[in-house]
Amino acid sequence: MSGLRVAIRGRSFGDKSVLGEIGFDLEPGERLALLGPSGIGKSTLLGIIAGTDTGFEGTVTRPDGRIAVVFQTPRLLPWRTLAENIAVVPGAGDLDRARSLLAEVGLGEACDMHPERVSLGMQRRAALVRALAVDPALLLLDEPLVSLDPQSVGAMRDLLTFAMDRTGATVVMATHDRREALALTDRIVELGGTPARLVSDRKSPLGRDARRDPRQVDDVYREWFEPDSFEPGGGAAA
Amino acid sequence: MGTSTRGIWPALSLLALVAIWVGAAAVADAEKLPGPVDVWRALLAQVETSGYFFHLGITLARVAAAFLIAMAIGSAIGIALGVSDVANRVFSGWLLLFLNLPALVTIILCYVWFGLNEAAAVTAVAINKIPNVAVTLREGARALSKDLAEMAAIYRFDFSTRLRHVILPQLAPFFAVAARNGLALVWKIVLVVELLGRSNGVGYQLYLYFQQWDVATILAYALGFIVIVQAIELAILARWERYANRWRR
Ligand SMILES: Nc1ncnc2c1ncn2[C@@H]1O[C@H](COP(=O)(O)OP(=O)(O)OP(=O)(O)O)[C@@H](O)[C@H]1O
Ligand SMILES: [Mg+2]
Repeated sequence: MSGLRVAIRGRSFGDKSVLGEIGFDLEPGERLALLGPSGIGKSTLLGIIAGTDTGFEGTVTRPDGRIAVVFQTPRLLPWRTLAENIAVVPGAGDLDRARSLLAEVGLGEACDMHPERVSLGMQRRAALVRALAVDPALLLLDEPLVSLDPQSVGAMRDLLTFAMDRTGATVVMATHDRREALALTDRIVELGGTPARLVSDRKSPLGRDARRDPRQVDDVYREWFEPDSFEPGGGAAA
Repeated sequence: MGTSTRGIWPALSLLALVAIWVGAAAVADAEKLPGPVDVWRALLAQVETSGYFFHLGITLARVAAAFLIAMAIGSAIGIALGVSDVANRVFSGWLLLFLNLPALVTIILCYVWFGLNEAAAVTAVAINKIPNVAVTLREGARALSKDLAEMAAIYRFDFSTRLRHVILPQLAPFFAVAARNGLALVWKIVLVVELLGRSNGVGYQLYLYFQQWDVATILAYALGFIVIVQAIELAILARWERYANRWRR
C-alpha cells in the first residue's frame, strides 16, 4: 500500500497567488493536521489533494483505493434522507447498511429524516459516515469540528478517532485549532505567509492513546505554541 | 386565519363573480351577455348535438402532445445552454429571436410549410413554447451546485446516479415553473392554431359560433376549458410540486 505524496509548486486564482511551494509525504495510515488561520488556503490545498482542483502546478500522488472527503459544509443531498445520502454512493452498500452505520454514530432515530430537518452536528456526523462507508484509502477532513457546540465537539472528536481507526486510511485534516490537531493526528504542519508555504512540520510526541488525554495534549500545546499563545477561537478542548 | 376559513374565501369570491354576472346579464342585451342559465342550456345542447366533449378532448390531446414535445426539447436545449458556455454564446441569439417571434407568424409558417395537418398544428404550438422552457431550464442549469458536483465526483457517482439524485432534483423547481407557465401559454395558442387551420377542437368551435354571434355557446366552451385547466393544475402540477418539495423545511 502506498501513501500520499504532495509536491505542489503553486496555485493561484487569476493574479492572486494563494499557495506557494508545498511538499510532504505521508506513510500509509499516517494522519496529518494542516494548521493555519482562516483564508490561508487549507481548503484549496485539500481540493488539490482530493483531485477536484486541477488548476495547480505540481504533482500529487494518491494512495491506491478510494478517496473520501468530509467537506467544510456537509454537502449532503437535501432531497434525500440521511440514510439515502449514504446508500446512493456507489460501493457504500444498501439502505440497511446505511441505517446501521448511522445508528453506530447515534443517528439511529434520524436516519430517515432529511438533512435540513436535523442539526448541523448531525449532518456532520452523517457526512462522516458517508466517508466511512466507502472504506477510503485516503480520508480528507476539512474543519470537521468547527461551529459545533462544546458537547458535540467532544462527541465528534471521538467519532473521528473511531473513523480513522476503523478505516486505517491515510488522513489529512485541515483545522485552525491547534489542540484539535494534537488530539487527533500524528503529525502537524503549519501553513503561513502569502502565498502560503509550510512554516513548520512536526511529528507529535503523543501516541494514539496518549493524545486522548487532555492533560497531555495541554502539555504539548504549551510547549509548542505558548510563546504566541493568543489564538482566537482556540481552547475549545479546554 | 384557520385553514377551514381560508378554503371558503375563493369559493365566496367566485360566487360574488357569478352574482355580478347574473346582475349584468339582467341589465344587458341578452344576445350580447347571456346569463348563467342560458350558458348552461347552450352547454347541454352542445353535449347532445355537437360533440362538446369530443372537441374539448381533441384540444386536450393537442395540448398534451405540444406540451410534452416542448418540455422535452426545450429542457434539453436549456440544460445544454446552461451547462456549456460555448453553446450559450453561439445560440443565445437564436433563442432571443424565437422568444420574440410572434405566435401568429410561427403558426402561419408551419401551416404554409408543412400543410394544414395535425403535425403542423402541434409543431406550431410546441415551437411557441420551446424558447420559454429553454430559458427557464437554462437558469436552472446555471444554478446547479458546484459543491454537490464535486461531492458526486469524489464519491464516484456514475452518470445515472448523478442525474437521478443530484441534477434532476435541483432542476425540479425549474421544471415546475416551465410547466406552469408553459401550460398557460399552450392553452392560449392552441385555440388560435385550431381557429386558423383545423376543422375541430374548441378553437374551431369558437370560430364557428363567433360567426353566428352565439355568445352563450362561446361562453359554454370557455367555461369547460377553464374547468379542465384548473383541474390539471390542481390534480397534477400542484400535487407534483408538493411531492418534489417534501424535503424542504
Ligand atoms: N475559486 C476561487 N477563486 C478565487 N479565489 C479563491 C477561490 N478559492 C479560494 N480562493 C481564495 O483563496 C484563499 C484561500 O481560501 P481557502 O478557502 O482555501 O482558505 P481556508 O484556509 O480553507 O480558510 P477557512 O479556514 O476560512 O476555510 C482565500 O483568500 C480565497 O479568497
Ligand atoms: Mg476552508
